[in-house]
Amino acid sequence: MNIMNLFQGVATLFYQEPLISGARIVLIFLGILLVYLGKKGTLEPLVMIPMGFGMSAVNAGVLFLSATTTGTIFMDPMVSDTNGLMNILQIDWLQPIYTFTFSNGLIACIVFMGIGVISDVGSVLRFPFTSMLIAMFAELGTVATFPIAKLFGLTNGEAAAVSVIGTADGPMVLYTSLMLAKDLFVPITIVAYLYLSLTYGGYPFLVRLLIPKHLREIVVKSTRNENISSAKKLAFAVVANTILCLLFPVAAPLFVSFFLGVAIRESGIVKYIKLIEEVFLYGATFFLGLMLGVLCEASTILNPKILILLVLGMIALLLSGIGGIIGGYVVYLISGKNFNPTIGIAGVSCVPTTAKVAQKEVHLVNKYCFILQYAMGANICGVITSAILTGIYVTLIPML
Amino acid sequence: MNESIMVALQVYGLGFVISLVIAVLIKGISFVFDRLSGENKVK
Repeated sequence: MNIMNLFQGVATLFYQEPLISGARIVLIFLGILLVYLGKKGTLEPLVMIPMGFGMSAVNAGVLFLSATTTGTIFMDPMVSDTNGLMNILQIDWLQPIYTFTFSNGLIACIVFMGIGVISDVGSVLRFPFTSMLIAMFAELGTVATFPIAKLFGLTNGEAAAVSVIGTADGPMVLYTSLMLAKDLFVPITIVAYLYLSLTYGGYPFLVRLLIPKHLREIVVKSTRNENISSAKKLAFAVVANTILCLLFPVAAPLFVSFFLGVAIRESGIVKYIKLIEEVFLYGATFFLGLMLGVLCEASTILNPKILILLVLGMIALLLSGIGGIIGGYVVYLISGKNFNPTIGIAGVSCVPTTAKVAQKEVHLVNKYCFILQYAMGANICGVITSAILTGIYVTLIPML
Repeated sequence: MNESIMVALQVYGLGFVISLVIAVLIKGISFVFDRLSGENKVK
């Protein structure tokens, strides 16, 4: 008996093309590194630990499926014909989750529903114009990356999908790439989640670079501290959802998911809130991380466009951060200098990370400065504007 | 290139208008609710 047939994970390393084998080894170590960085808190542990685990496992666990083909029994994202899919569903252990929750965008919608449940839209209702203005400025990367991506030779769908990284909203990137760039959705989503994990570490430097200390320590004097009733918030969720679904039926699943989450929160149905927040949101985030890791199998992810995506993803997030800060400055000037421009970074809709970054940065220079309610308003408006821009891209691009 | 810039401008312009509409809508909802609850009545 050939001992190599017993240890097929090792044997396939020698059987596959050297490029694939090399990539497998790199990805195994990258997966271990992601777990380490997740544990350390450098990257978002909720996504990175299952993702890194899946990445190292899938690249190690390659076996001979026949005398001439190699693969895994995790899942096959490339299977397209119905018969093949029915077979694979009975063999590959993660295939049912991929087919029934991932490839149709359900998992993105569940995460979005969870975001809705944890989002208090009170700040949005208190400062609607300020929050929306900042959020739209913070979409600079989402639109400005599109022509840059076209310059790099991407198709309209691919360019739109990679531009949506600028929304800093993982479920949105997943949804757009599934709708517009199915061939590239794995690398685009992975790049997006990797970068999103880094925003907590990167954006503070951007804030310190672009906003001088004397402006970061501004205390906003507010004359409006009225309580926003749950009924008002619920009415907003229902009306905004209906209007956005009317305008962009293609993105309706995203709108419904987010505003349903908000509606459930404001209805005060405790059992649903607990179900969505503690079970759906964490369950979906866990499987999202694991699936993203498992999708990083060397033969699937090795795409000549990956380097371009890495560059464009960074450009998109950088431009959105700069745009948000410009928005902060605009509101600062409009309001007669009674506004802290740091709040602008919260327009980038990475809920609640960027709002926390804004609060943390002002707190470092002024212990008595609390801007969280303004930052959360901009942050949640960022989610809404991200969904709107995603809806526009998903509707507009197929028409071009 | 020009075409892609036009697409980006269209997306941004449309997004801006819709966001503004949503902000106006929020103001409208607040106004209606305040009226109904009598908070804004002139005394």
